Amino acid sequence: MTTNATVRPAQRRLQAQLMIAGGLVLAVGCGIAPTRIWSNLLVGTFFLLTLALGGALFVALTYVSGGGWHVAFRRIPEALATMLPIAGGAMLLVLVGRMRQYGWHHDWHGDAGTFWFKERWLTPSFWALRAVLYVVLWSFLAGWLVARSRRQDRAGSPSLAAGNVRISALFLAVYAVTFSLASVDWMMALEPMWFSTMWGVYNFSGMIQATLAVVIILALFLRSNGGPLCGVFNDEHLHDLGKLLLGFSCFWMYIWFSQYMLIWYSNIPEETSYFIARTHGPWGPVVVGSIVLNWVVPFFVLLPKPAKRNGRVMMRVAVVVLLGRWVDLYVMVFPATLGETPVFGVWEVAAMCCLTGATGLLFFRAFSAAAPVPERDAYLAESMHYHAG
Amino acid sequence: MSDRVLVATFEHEDDLLAATAAVRRDGQRIVDAFTPYAVHGLERAMGLRPSRLTWVCFFCGMAGALGMLWFEHWTAAIDWPLDVGGKPWNSMPSDVPVAFEAAVLLAGFGSVLALLAVSRLFPGKQPPIIDPRVTDDRFVLVIAQSDAAFDLNVITTQLADFRALSVEERVTLPGGELQ
Repeated sequence: MTTNATVRPAQRRLQAQLMIAGGLVLAVGCGIAPTRIWSNLLVGTFFLLTLALGGALFVALTYVSGGGWHVAFRRIPEALATMLPIAGGAMLLVLVGRMRQYGWHHDWHGDAGTFWFKERWLTPSFWALRAVLYVVLWSFLAGWLVARSRRQDRAGSPSLAAGNVRISALFLAVYAVTFSLASVDWMMALEPMWFSTMWGVYNFSGMIQATLAVVIILALFLRSNGGPLCGVFNDEHLHDLGKLLLGFSCFWMYIWFSQYMLIWYSNIPEETSYFIARTHGPWGPVVVGSIVLNWVVPFFVLLPKPAKRNGRVMMRVAVVVLLGRWVDLYVMVFPATLGETPVFGVWEVAAMCCLTGATGLLFFRAFSAAAPVPERDAYLAESMHYHAG
Repeated sequence: MSDRVLVATFEHEDDLLAATAAVRRDGQRIVDAFTPYAVHGLERAMGLRPSRLTWVCFFCGMAGALGMLWFEHWTAAIDWPLDVGGKPWNSMPSDVPVAFEAAVLLAGFGSVLALLAVSRLFPGKQPPIIDPRVTDDRFVLVIAQSDAAFDLNVITTQLADFRALSVEERVTLPGGELQ
């Protein structure tokens, strides 16, 4: 069953224009400021990839925990998850297209005795092979999960959902290890001599927070103006998504600060290099900005109950959180690739336009490929009638 | 003002919810509802105003965080300056974990104590229970008989539509508590 009413042709055209215009500007920029374009591409594709992965994570977590509340809008995270092969392919192109951007590739200054493991681990061929493995594993497991959920619309067999619980458990175990490693390989390795054992969970916290924000925005969009989730996605769902967004905003702040405080406290030079580059000098205000966008605003705005049930408030907070996610990734990548001064200009705006347009196009294509509501899921009735309290 | 009330007992929470909403829609004054566990949506059906306990929680949490930040700063930088690892005396990052814990502790204790104080609960208190089975598997709705809109026959029939197990008249004690 295909529903073409999810997005109007004019909106689809706007998304395509954003993507193509942004892409053209970036293509021109490749000849003018290649490092800066690549940094923007890394931030953008990692953003997109973690949204897709976050959708799969949301679906898997709710299957494993036996959740029924989310079924009414489950097709949204499912559609995000089906973006994994394309987002992952783009990620691989960006990574392999400019491997020399990674410090270990040209600027190796470790001694073989102390850093023997790091040297082997970051061998370019092994590093690239791992990247392919991560993307293939995620795409396969997430695709399997979503395909079975969609098949249930026709077959109706509850055994498909029961089997999905087991696939979800497998996905979660694989995800926990591979995403942690991927964030180390792709983001931390930009500064190969620096390390943090909290890097994986720090990236996870930003990922799940941004995914919740995107699910909120898309759900509110899809229920507006007689959209396919009109009368399906209600204030109870919004309230619970708001609680999760509030909780994971606090989690992001908690993890961010835990990483910062451990490094600040022990004050060991090879660990402090990351934060000295980012909190001393012109990057300082940008870091403060990321904290305001990712925690201060969502925390104080979403604390009262009425705010979490108000579509307008939730939409704005979710947009703020997504901006915060971009700034967070910007602070991870740009100081490592471009140095001491924050830069923001036409290339960043073009990359953001391209990212927004591509996400919209990919999402609505994936969402239209199945029924907007999993109508034969055993938990759908529960999802339509529960109270968030 | 009369202190007579009507006590209706239900077997299912859905019946209680529907009856509460219907009775309130007809202009009756609802004294209280008693349930074995928190019934979601009941506060909306009863038309209760939003709880003020969240504000107690928020301000206790803020007081805990800010008070502890000030106290740590005073002990480590003002009253008896301590050199820890060569760091400045007013090292804020090291104050944050304790301030966070103090915020959680005061918010938690503050909310519980405020709740106990407002509902006049204390150890050893023996509150009169309207029906012993509300502690187990029965749901009770108490409606005031004072209002002009009150008509015993109409309401009894109406409650029967919501499968009320029993509807009886009671008198409140002088203290306002139900017996």
